[in-house]
Amino acid sequence: MLHLFSLFLPTVIPSWRFFKTVAPSPRIEYRLIEAGRVEDWQEDRPRPGHLGLGQILRRMLWNPEWNEQLYLVSCSERLIDEPSQHSVDEINLRVARLLPAGQQELQFRLVFVSREQGQIVKLVEYESSPVSLITLQEAVG
Amino acid sequence: MSGLSFLQQGLSAGQAMGWMQLLLAFAIAQQSLEHLALGALGLRDRMIFVPRLVLCVVMGLGIGGAWPVWGLWGISLAMLWRYQGPYNGGSDKMTMLILSCLSLAHLAPSAFWQEMALSYLAVQLVLSYFVSGLVKVVNPEWRCGEALRDVFRFSAYPVSEGLRGLADHPRFLFVMGWAVILFELVFPLALLDPVALKLALLCAAGFHFSNACFFGLNRFFWIWLCAYPALIWFQDRIF
Repeated sequence: MLHLFSLFLPTVIPSWRFFKTVAPSPRIEYRLIEAGRVEDWQEDRPRPGHLGLGQILRRMLWNPEWNEQLYLVSCSERLIDEPSQHSVDEINLRVARLLPAGQQELQFRLVFVSREQGQIVKLVEYESSPVSLITLQEAVG
Repeated sequence: MSGLSFLQQGLSAGQAMGWMQLLLAFAIAQQSLEHLALGALGLRDRMIFVPRLVLCVVMGLGIGGAWPVWGLWGISLAMLWRYQGPYNGGSDKMTMLILSCLSLAHLAPSAFWQEMALSYLAVQLVLSYFVSGLVKVVNPEWRCGEALRDVFRFSAYPVSEGLRGLADHPRFLFVMGWAVILFELVFPLALLDPVALKLALLCAAGFHFSNACFFGLNRFFWIWLCAYPALIWFQDRIF
């Protein structure tokens, strides 16, 4: 109950400190592992190169995939700030749901992008334990 | 009715609550449909989103008095538990804040307490702009325009890689950054005049619209609009 209260309180007494600082920004990368053969890391749902005006306006009303991506950003930040199995499970499930069914194991890592002394730098801050892809996909349904 | 007299018009507490419930019905239904669209993962959470959708329809039709508001508040609490926090950051927080204030306004034993609940929402709405401007203006990175460049350069928000190119236009972003900061800081002054408030709310809606276009924050646009009637009522009541 106390935990629920701690989740509820910031919604009724919000801080409203949007973009106080531009913090290091997480990207989720994943790879598949099959019988000891390890694939290269790939970015989860890379953004498109360009969006037309029509697509942008349509997204005002219908933007489920992007909002899920923003939720994954929150899960990634929470995983670093307050590590929990919930965040690991949510990232695993949502990465797995977009992959073709397979017998491989899925592993993800969190790469944080930031600017340091004028240069864009990337730092791997978390690497998950591999889990069975098919088990995740069955859990999703 | 002329345009100016429309802009000068206020709202009663009952009218403000009615408008908020109508707008909320749309905004929360839109959020719920987006969740249900996520294939099997969305369907896994249908115990949350189907009742949420039904309550939106009921509330939008003006049926059931306060019950749909209380029901939606309870479901929002369940969502906080399900996602261990907001699913969509500030927009979920604003959804919960509006539902909490509306729920309390319906529960209020007298007009005074009803007005207190609506006033709290109105003050929070003003703070959502003012505090946002304040934390930026005290940050040298925002003052020199570098922070907004970083938002486009490497943050997770730009909806396309093409938009990252805006980071190469520092003068444009410097002006835009200051325009946002100044607007957010002076927003509370709009409370002094009903016409100024309506115009400020129009600018604020434009700001949320541009955030939706650049950063895909469509839910912020719809949910912030839902709180505007409380501020229009508040301005008319207090000033």
